[in-house]
Amino acid sequence: MKMRKPCKGRLVNVVLKNAKFWNGKSFELEREVRLDACANAETVEFDCNGALVMPALFGLGLDFMEPLRDDVYTFDDGFEALRKGGFYGGLYESAANPIDDADKFTAMVNRFKSEERGESAFDIKFLGAYSKGFGTDSLAEMIELAEAGVAGFGDGNGAIPHSRFLRLAMEYGKMTGKRFFFQPMDKTLRHSGCVHEGAYSDMLGMKGIPRIAETIAAYTVLETARFLQVPVHFKQVTCGETLELVRNARRQGMDVTCDVGLYHLLLDDSSLEKLDSAYHILPPIRSADDCEALWQGLADGTVNAISMNHTPVLRQDTVVNFEDSVPGALSLEVALPAIWNKLVAKVGEARAIELLSIAPARLAGADSAHDNVVVFAPDRPHVVVEGDFAGHVCNSPLMNMRLPSSILASYINGAWTVL
Amino acid sequence: MSALEIKHLFGLRGVSKHDIRLILDHAKQFREILERPVKKVPSLRGMTVVNLFFENSTRTRTSFELAEKRLSADTVNFASSNSSVKKGETLVDTLRNIEAMKIDIVVVRHKGTGVPKFLADNSKAIIVNAGDGAHEHPTQALLDMLTIEEKLGTLEGKNVTIIGDIRHSRVARSNLWGMSTMGAHVTLCGPSTLVPRNTDLMDHVTWEPDVKKAVANADAIIALRLQKERMDDALLPSMREYRNTFGITDELLECAKDKVIIMHPGPINRGVELDSDIADGEHSVILDQVTNGVAVRMAVLFLLAGGRNNENA
Repeated sequence: MKMRKPCKGRLVNVVLKNAKFWNGKSFELEREVRLDACANAETVEFDCNGALVMPALFGLGLDFMEPLRDDVYTFDDGFEALRKGGFYGGLYESAANPIDDADKFTAMVNRFKSEERGESAFDIKFLGAYSKGFGTDSLAEMIELAEAGVAGFGDGNGAIPHSRFLRLAMEYGKMTGKRFFFQPMDKTLRHSGCVHEGAYSDMLGMKGIPRIAETIAAYTVLETARFLQVPVHFKQVTCGETLELVRNARRQGMDVTCDVGLYHLLLDDSSLEKLDSAYHILPPIRSADDCEALWQGLADGTVNAISMNHTPVLRQDTVVNFEDSVPGALSLEVALPAIWNKLVAKVGEARAIELLSIAPARLAGADSAHDNVVVFAPDRPHVVVEGDFAGHVCNSPLMNMRLPSSILASYINGAWTVL
Repeated sequence: MSALEIKHLFGLRGVSKHDIRLILDHAKQFREILERPVKKVPSLRGMTVVNLFFENSTRTRTSFELAEKRLSADTVNFASSNSSVKKGETLVDTLRNIEAMKIDIVVVRHKGTGVPKFLADNSKAIIVNAGDGAHEHPTQALLDMLTIEEKLGTLEGKNVTIIGDIRHSRVARSNLWGMSTMGAHVTLCGPSTLVPRNTDLMDHVTWEPDVKKAVANADAIIALRLQKERMDDALLPSMREYRNTFGITDELLECAKDKVIIMHPGPINRGVELDSDIADGEHSVILDQVTNGVAVRMAVLFLLAGGRNNENA
């Protein structure tokens, strides 16, 4: 097991020297910029050597999995992952511990408060559950949850419920004015599938999840949303067909947003050939054509944001054969170095920052990054090692890979972290 | 032509013609030994083989065990139904505990695709795949190839038709990779709910939905076992309709060549995928397959162990 190397960050004022700062349109070289935490804090200087200083990121799809095993991955580990990855906040949705009443929401918010400052060091927003326990028997107390401050209502990344319950949940939740967040998946079409149903699953004899498991679920949600006039968001869309449904719905005036997952942009199902449980991710990583369609969706504006889908998995649940492994991957610590250069090449710097920082925050109802920044060297390669990840887990398909870029430091809510 | 290029046998996809040829040639020699009054050779004396079966198996496990004993190896059978796996032990821990008892070769069957490779990545033992999920069953395909060579002289240029539940069949996958490598042309046929939808990576095989056309030019027909669970899962309406549409019957054989051979990996559902009189008839080589299974497994174990011994030297 790896040694824990906490990087808590400390409250300081920083003077960043020789950096290219994002001015809202482009990166501009500045000899010196000062960022203050508070008047009486220590001031540190950091020579960026021409690195980029950009708005810190906002992570969609956070789930630190506590309280599954708090000796393995805790909220503190999640915070460390946020700092290391240059995130100032995120949208949190606990699959194991659904926030289905206002008391649970308050308890969850308190878990995120810093012991030092009595408030969260990060701008964390929460998705409430639209049903009790993510089930299909009872609605959650959505009005009280909305009043307490949830960002919207989600499904815990489970399959969409049966159509009547879906209608009732959205019909009741409409009173709150909040957006519904779905990971579109029809559980009967998923059946026992664990990978994309395609050439590789058929070649390898693995149980597949067809694209129609996503598109039929998405269509059901969209038709219900159209009927009820409720805003919806699709989490981690995996194929071009779903993006086409989103485009059509928008053309008809519907309020529909969507994100795509980091790894769905970086990988395709040819990785299944490795038969490595690190590539076991849900929703499944689809074909190269699907991946290309997602990039097209980023470029043409169909996709609103890139999601992190950050999911710690216990080591013993990954050191098994693929089909018996627990799906999920860590992403916060490696997202920016893994995707920045390709993203900029495809969509440009402004859109890249929009997809990673501005739009995710907007979807969660969070403030913009303000003075929260990440210092980033796009041309300094980095080989991913276990120590890069917070907590006692390291489930990432990027392990041991050489990423083209490196994060040098982050400055989040006054906490300065040098990596 | 003396050593295998592979260190383990995970499957036949990607295995070279050289290696398959070497295994089949050695299997032919072992086949002759199996006809002798004394069927035992000392090739693996002092080596220990563990048969690690996480799925029920009678004939494959028995075939491997016989092969191991006839090579003079010490054999241990490990079945998950009465093992520490039932107590929550992980696959890796199970393997490492067995490995700590100084074993040399592990023959593994498991429901999960890729388990043999996973075990090889986590141990020093030689791993032989005895069936992993719907992925591969390489020794079954090798014994099928040996039987075809024995009966038809060569695989090169022969037409082999596989009929049945292709989607869930590790036998079909191993056969299509192995036989294609050896120059045979493979045709696959089955009901649309039981064949893979995506064939982009299997472009060297032919898909023929019409069973009469599928058998018309076949030199060998392999009928796959139809599992009853397929009916429960609504993949098929009835065994009766399956038999009438895809079963190997006298009527269907009238569409095939006179000297076509009929094969089956066993156990047979008589009257479903294969009519009884055909299973026992002149075209059937099913019992030859069983005998060849022992010879092929002897060849695989002998060659893989030999490779390891050479490497250590």
